[in-house]
Amino acid sequence: MSFKANKEEPLLEIRNLKVNFHTYRGEVKALNGVNLKLYPQEVLAVVGESGCGKSVTMQTLIGLLPENAYVPEGQIIFKGEDLTKKSKEHMRMLRAEELAIVFQDPMTFLNPVLTIESQLEEVFTLQKKLLIEASNLEKTQGDVKFTDLLREKSSDAPQTNRKLARKEVKRISKKLCVDILNLVKLPDPERILKHYPFELSGGMRQRAMIAMALARRPSIFIADEITTALDVTIQAQILHLLKELRDKIAASTLMVTHDLSVAAEVADRIAVMYGGNVVEVTSTRQLFKKPLHPYTQLLLKAIPNILNPVETLESIPGTVPEMVKPPPGCRFHPRCPFVMENCSKDRPKLKEVEKGHEVACYIY
Amino acid sequence: MRIYEYIIRRLILLIFVLFAVSVVIFYLLRGFPTGIAPWAAYINSKMTADQIEAVIKAHGFDRPLWEQYFYWLRDIFQGQWGLTGIWAQGRPANEVFFNHFSYTIELAVSGVILTVAIGIPLGIISALKNNKLPDHVSRVIALAGYSTPAYWFGFMLQLVFFYYFSLWGLPHLPSSGASTLGVSRITGLPLLDGLLSGNLAFSWDEFLHLILPAFSLSFISLGFLARIVRASMLEVLRQDYITMARSKGLTERVVIYRHALKNALIPAVTLTGIFFAALLGGAMITEYVFSWPGVGQQALRAVFQGDSNFLLVYSLVFAAIIVTANLVVDVIYAFLDPRIKY
Amino acid sequence: MKEQQSASAVPKGEWEARLADIKYTLHLFRKNPLVMAGTIISLFFIGLALSANIIVNPNLALPTGYTGGMYPFERKYMWSAGSIINWGPNIAIYKGPESFLLGTDGWGRDLAKMIVLAVPVDLYYAAIITITAAIFGTFLGAIAGYIGGVIDEALLRITDIFFAFPALVLALVFASLPQFGRSLDTLALALVLVWWPPYVRLMRGQVLSEKEKPYVEALKATGAGNTRILFRHVLMNAIYPILVQVTMDFGGVILTFSALMFLGFSPSPALPELGNLAADGYGHIFDAPWVILFPGIVMLIISLAFNLVGDGLRDVLDPRLRR
Repeated sequence: MSFKANKEEPLLEIRNLKVNFHTYRGEVKALNGVNLKLYPQEVLAVVGESGCGKSVTMQTLIGLLPENAYVPEGQIIFKGEDLTKKSKEHMRMLRAEELAIVFQDPMTFLNPVLTIESQLEEVFTLQKKLLIEASNLEKTQGDVKFTDLLREKSSDAPQTNRKLARKEVKRISKKLCVDILNLVKLPDPERILKHYPFELSGGMRQRAMIAMALARRPSIFIADEITTALDVTIQAQILHLLKELRDKIAASTLMVTHDLSVAAEVADRIAVMYGGNVVEVTSTRQLFKKPLHPYTQLLLKAIPNILNPVETLESIPGTVPEMVKPPPGCRFHPRCPFVMENCSKDRPKLKEVEKGHEVACYIY
Repeated sequence: MRIYEYIIRRLILLIFVLFAVSVVIFYLLRGFPTGIAPWAAYINSKMTADQIEAVIKAHGFDRPLWEQYFYWLRDIFQGQWGLTGIWAQGRPANEVFFNHFSYTIELAVSGVILTVAIGIPLGIISALKNNKLPDHVSRVIALAGYSTPAYWFGFMLQLVFFYYFSLWGLPHLPSSGASTLGVSRITGLPLLDGLLSGNLAFSWDEFLHLILPAFSLSFISLGFLARIVRASMLEVLRQDYITMARSKGLTERVVIYRHALKNALIPAVTLTGIFFAALLGGAMITEYVFSWPGVGQQALRAVFQGDSNFLLVYSLVFAAIIVTANLVVDVIYAFLDPRIKY
Repeated sequence: MKEQQSASAVPKGEWEARLADIKYTLHLFRKNPLVMAGTIISLFFIGLALSANIIVNPNLALPTGYTGGMYPFERKYMWSAGSIINWGPNIAIYKGPESFLLGTDGWGRDLAKMIVLAVPVDLYYAAIITITAAIFGTFLGAIAGYIGGVIDEALLRITDIFFAFPALVLALVFASLPQFGRSLDTLALALVLVWWPPYVRLMRGQVLSEKEKPYVEALKATGAGNTRILFRHVLMNAIYPILVQVTMDFGGVILTFSALMFLGFSPSPALPELGNLAADGYGHIFDAPWVILFPGIVMLIISLAFNLVGDGLRDVLDPRLRR
């Protein structure tokens, strides 16, 4: 799993993103200046404890922040445009065609009274371009598979302004549904399509959700803690699936998780978040070999090593900062074993300390 | 199949409930030491003591209570529901009941249609514009409906739409009763009969008579329905799968109509079912205020006369309707929500 | 979203936590203009009820010359503001000396004053009925839900039977009892019997879902007895929907109570009670609409006010709508 860094333009760049929430108890400063770069065709894992802001970052990215949230500062640059300034309608279109997200708990995130088919189909019917391409391909090739369409999107095919009849749309969608379920390795797709979410197992539901995301042929595929609600064996299967799909889809993946081992499994690079900031970003290998930020170091020490069992488990002293009145300066400083004077004054910025390795810490 | 088992179980329960209700009412109306004698409904002040004795014997009021009950049971199974009192010319109780029942059905159906047609959109608007002006306005309307005294509202409607309108020379709605034009009896439902037999003038007249009482009924219940729909929509809109639907890039319209509504309307449907059943008991007050010849109006008279025969019929039918409605609603619920299994 | 819910200070004890909760509830309450309006109006009427006998001389309800007791007396005149319509044997119309704010009722009494006297009667009985039904029903429901099994089934069936009962028949029977006579108390009793089943269902549902929650298991593990668990813990947590229901029922009970009076169940035709006052106008709706109009409006306002409060409470106490 090599990574391509610095040679290409980032597909997505988040600059100094701050997000606050109005709540009864005060202003919650959830994101405190997040900096992140996502390059084409890479898998970037965003790792951190609960409450560090990873999910909020994703929500801001796709434009689905709740009503009481606002962005006081920062930018999200995607394909040359700042997403924080875009209208809801624009974000909606992006969600339909470019930014796909898969959520954590497939039980609650799938509509219980609609069949898998209807929930999958509606994703296809949104995409006129895709349907037209599929229809064209079908005419030229005689048949069309979803995987063909995956390749097609990269080329900006000239839009033929054809309108497809509703029956046609339904037929093609149904076909693509079956295809895509095969892609995510769901057995017997025809039968599954007719089922309701509660009739499937957790792993199958998760695969269906992944299918719904892939159906958009997204540029960015976001996986928000998708393995957290699954047991370990299913988790392994899903991760395996993701690795397989990686070659087929031309997307970059943002993998949000709190589990470092999951990150290690699939990611090219890892970004560690704490208290609303990104504190370290580097390749997977580097992170495990030479963690620079104190938080990362403590995290890695806390993972029990199966080869060298020890008597006591290491943990990080203290608790996660509360977000209404967060600690000034570097938000980790109250728990940091190497805390220095200026740690409590100003927040350290992310700096590139060595090639492809950024840290936000005053030690460096 | 599980669901058939379930239905059968509930039907057995229905029979049990009917028995229990009949016993309790029988006792209350005939055995309980009230101020009204059980035979009071069947005599008038002109009768001699002997005639009164005869009436008592004829109805069996002189026998011990439990014996009366068994005779009554036996009579029922033979289709004899007893005779009504003087107030209804002593006709068989079930005949009186079912004659008027069709009017009650008419009223109940119209009431429900209006309630649903206004109440559900009101609730949806309230939920979508939560805590903004449309929400407050529809909230007040809904709660006002719910807080209006039925007797008062009916009269106000009559006052305005009949009296004042005719005073002001506007076309006015009839104030009370059902249509007095004749119609041939096909289904028993006057409005339909008019349409079916081509007597459009009658149907129109009936319709006009129906407007005010139906509206009076629905105004009161639509508030309740709107609140339930609102609460249920709000609950649904918080769910994760709605976030998921939005994250797919679906338009807000699709999210609401396709994903949210189907889930949110389930409680509303069940509630409407129960409403309808309750209305079939004859919305007594509305029928009283509008002199609508339905079952509720008759029951009211029977209550004041202490006519146990009629009230027994009424109570049993009412109990049967409620329990059946509960069952139907539960079954419908199972169809709407694929997760429910019995 | 759970990530954002950090507490600003950890409450130190159970009561501190509850207090903070209540403060938050009040804050949410205040933000809603409708609920505030409802609360103010309700409080106004409660105040009115408490002071009614001071504002208006209760003897005005009795016909002049009679002392004590409420006897049906002859219907003499019907007054409107400025003119009398005499319904006695000689029908005459002439202008009278006094003017009445809202006109008079069928007995010639000042309608406005009668309404003021009627408010405490209605509120008092509504309160009694609602609270009694609530306590009774909640208690039974809690037991049914918590213990389950045969008792639960039995209670459910009994409740079902009561649900299927036509309320009017029950009211009649009680109203005709010679021992109790046609008094307001028997009527109240009849209404309580009709009104308690929803509470049983409500409480039972709440208890059932609370029972499954982990804290109950934890309490059992520490050796807490069942009664203690039920009353001290489960009840406290399950009580919110009951509170909402009570407030909303209050409005409903007032309406039903006065409706029954309107239909004729009142002990005396001259009793100042909103439904009873309206009943006078039944036959004269077109020529003397004020007799029904004003008591009805007052009834509507009272009921609306309490329903607004109850509705607002429901919104505010719904744990899922709170931030």
